[in-house]
Amino acid sequence: MDIQRGNIIVMDRRTGKLRAGQGLLQGLKVVWDHWAASFRKNENFTQIRGNFTVEYPDERLQLPQAYRNMPVLLYDDESGHELCTGCYQCQRICPPQVIHITQAKDPVTGKMVPAATEFIIEYDACMSCGFCAEVCPFDSIKMDHVFELSTADHDSLTMRKAQLNRPISYYTSIAPDLWEGVKAGAMKKLQGNIKRRPGVIGMAPSLTEKIKARRQELAEAAAAAPPAAAPAAPAAPAGKLTPEEKAAKLAAMKAANAAKKAGGEAAPAEAPAAELSPADAKAAKLAAIKAANAAKKAGGEAAPAEAPAAELSPADAKAAKLAAIKAANAAKKAAEAAPAVAAPTTGNGTAAPTDEKAARLAAIKAANAAKKAAEQGNNE
Amino acid sequence: MIKTEELQINIGPQHPSTHGVFRMLVTVDGETITDLKPVFGYLHRNHEQIAEVNTYLQNMPYTDRLDYFNSMANNHAYAIAVEKLAGIEVPERAEYIRVLMVELTRVLNHAGALGFLINDMGAWQTQLAFGMREREKILDLFESASGARLMCNYFRFGGVVRDLPDDFMPRLKDLLVAMPAFIDELERLLRENEILLQRSEGIGILPRDLAIAYSVTGPVLRASGVAYDVRKAEPYSVYDRFDFDVPVGSVGDVYDRILVRIEEMRQSKRIIEQIIEQLPDAQGGHINPKARQNVRPPVGDVYARVESPKGELGFYLVSDGSTKPYRYKVRAPSFINLTPLGDMCRGYKVADVVVILGSIDIVMGEVDR
Repeated sequence: MDIQRGNIIVMDRRTGKLRAGQGLLQGLKVVWDHWAASFRKNENFTQIRGNFTVEYPDERLQLPQAYRNMPVLLYDDESGHELCTGCYQCQRICPPQVIHITQAKDPVTGKMVPAATEFIIEYDACMSCGFCAEVCPFDSIKMDHVFELSTADHDSLTMRKAQLNRPISYYTSIAPDLWEGVKAGAMKKLQGNIKRRPGVIGMAPSLTEKIKARRQELAEAAAAAPPAAAPAAPAAPAGKLTPEEKAAKLAAMKAANAAKKAGGEAAPAEAPAAELSPADAKAAKLAAIKAANAAKKAGGEAAPAEAPAAELSPADAKAAKLAAIKAANAAKKAAEAAPAVAAPTTGNGTAAPTDEKAARLAAIKAANAAKKAAEQGNNE
Repeated sequence: MIKTEELQINIGPQHPSTHGVFRMLVTVDGETITDLKPVFGYLHRNHEQIAEVNTYLQNMPYTDRLDYFNSMANNHAYAIAVEKLAGIEVPERAEYIRVLMVELTRVLNHAGALGFLINDMGAWQTQLAFGMREREKILDLFESASGARLMCNYFRFGGVVRDLPDDFMPRLKDLLVAMPAFIDELERLLRENEILLQRSEGIGILPRDLAIAYSVTGPVLRASGVAYDVRKAEPYSVYDRFDFDVPVGSVGDVYDRILVRIEEMRQSKRIIEQIIEQLPDAQGGHINPKARQNVRPPVGDVYARVESPKGELGFYLVSDGSTKPYRYKVRAPSFINLTPLGDMCRGYKVADVVVILGSIDIVMGEVDR
C-alpha cells in the first residue's frame, strides 16, 4: 500500500546490544529515579518526575471556567428576578429528559407570564452534557462547579427551583469571562421580561416570601394607621392608663414586633447559609437573635410596667417610652440588615462576603443598642 | 490408570483482568488452552436503540459513553457522519482543533493501555501510574477546553462547542516538552526488559491473513504487519496535511503491539507539533455559524469512519428526513478486535490469556454498547 506524506516503519524488535539482565536493570533504574524524585513537589508540567499529587480534600486544583457539573438557575442580585422565562428549550433538548418546567400564569388574566413557577432538575439522572446551558436563550441556566453532591438517597437529588437558584454574582465568581460574554444580552432580555411579570412572579423563591411578607406588612400598616385609635380606646377602661403610659406600651409592642421580625427574617437564612458559610451566617443569626432578645427584654420590661403604671411617675414612663423606641429602632435596623444576609448566602457564602460582614456588624450594633436601651429602661 | 480430561472454566465476567464485565469460556487441557469463546453482552445498555429515539444532537453525549477512554474520537466519528449526511461544512480552524484533540486522545489512550497491559502481566501499578500521570495532564487540557475530563461532549455539527481557552496553547507546549521524555522513558522501561520479553514475545500471534479475515483494525492489525490506517487510507478532516509514519509489526505478537503503540504516540506528537504550526493560519472560527444543531438531514444513509486509538470506528446512519436517525449503527473497533481472541489464545497457557486480552486494548463500553 502506498502512503502519502509518510513512511511505513517496521518496528525493530530488539536492539540486541544488551546482555541478559541489563534490560531489567535499565528498567529498574527508571523506577528508582522516579522513586528518588518523588520526595520533591513538582508542579512544572514540562517535567515527568517528581511528586505531582494533589492532596485532594485539603488541596484543590483551580477548576477551569468552562468546567461543567450540574445545571443551576440564575437570578438577578438587584431585582431578585430570575432570568428563566420557562420557554421549555432546555426541557426539549435534555438528552436524559430530566428537566421539568411549569410555566407561570397571571392569576388575574390567566395568560402566560415569561417566568417559571416550578423548575425541577433530577440531578441523579443528569448526564452533565451542558446542552441546557448552551441552548438557553436567556442565559438563565448555567453549569455549576460544585461536584461534591453525594448523598445516600435519590430523592434529595431531585432539585426544585428554590434549590437551583443562584445569584448572578455567584456565577461571575466562578466564570467571570463566560458571563462577561453574554451579560449585555442577558440583562437586556431580563429587563424586558420583568416588565411583563405581575407581582412577585418570576422572583427567586428565597426572596419571594420575604417580599410578600414585606408588602403585606406595608399594606397592613397603611390600613391600621387610622383605626389604631379604636383598639387603643377599649384598652383605656381596663387599665387607668395615662397617655404617656399608653404610648410606652405601644412603643414596647412595636419594639417586640420589630424584634420578632428581625428574628424571623434571620431564621430562614439559617438553612441555606449554615451549609455554605457556617461561621458568618451563624454569627449573623446569633447577633440577630441577641438583638431580638434584647429588644424583647426591653419590651418585656416596659410591658409589665403597664400594670403598676399607676405608681410610675410621668418621668419614668417617658424614659421607658424612649428606651422602647430606641430598642424598636435598633431592632428594625437589625431586621433590615438581616435580609441582606439572607440574599447572598442562599447562593454561596463566597458570593458577597463584604455584605455579609456589614450585615453582621449591623446586627451586632443593633443588639448592643437594644441592650443598652433595656438597661436604661431598667435603671429608670 | 491415569486419565486426563479437558476442563471448561470461566474467566470473568467479574474479574479484574477482563477490563470490565466480559466472560471467556475457556477449555483447558492442563494449563494449555484448547478453546476459548468470548461471551459479550454484560454491559449492553441499548445504545443504538436509544439513539433512534433521540435527535441527532442528543446522541453526541451518548457517544462519549461508548469508549469512555476516548470520548473525543467518538465525538469526531459521529460528527463527521452527521455532517456528511446533512451536508454541513466545517471551518478550517475547527478541523485543526478537532484533530488536535483526537491526537491527544490517542496519546492518552496508548499511555493508559500500555499501563494496563503491564498491570495484567503482574507489574502492579508502576507503569500504570506513569501512564496515568501523563494522561492526567492531557485530561486537564480537555477539561479547560470542553468542561469535562472524560465525557467531553466537545464536538458539534460544524465545529466544536467553544474555542480553545487562552491558556491552552502554553500548557500544550509544556506538555509537548514532557511527552518525548515520557515516551523514551517508557521504552527504556519496557523494550529490553527480560521479564516483559518472556511474557510477550511469541505470545498471542495473530497472523496477517487471519487479522484481515477477522476485519481487525487499529494497532492490533498494524502489529500483524498490515499498514492500514484510516487516516492514510481515506484521509478525513485535515489529515492529508500532516506528515506522519505508520508503524507496523513483523510477527503480530503481544510484543509487536506494545512497540506499535509506543511508536504511534511518537507519531501523534509529530502531528500535534504540525497542528501548533498551522493552527494560527487556519481560516474560520471554531464552529460554522450557519450550521444548525437541530439538524434535519435529507433522506439517505451514510457511513463515516475515523481511526480511533483502538481501530476503525464507524457510524452508519440512515435518515428518514426527520430530526431523529432512523437507524444508528456503531462499528466499534474493540468489539471486532475481540472476535479473534479464541484463535489468538489457542495453544497458549492460561496465564497468557490475560496478557493477550490486555494487548488488544478493549473497552467494554464499546464492545457491548
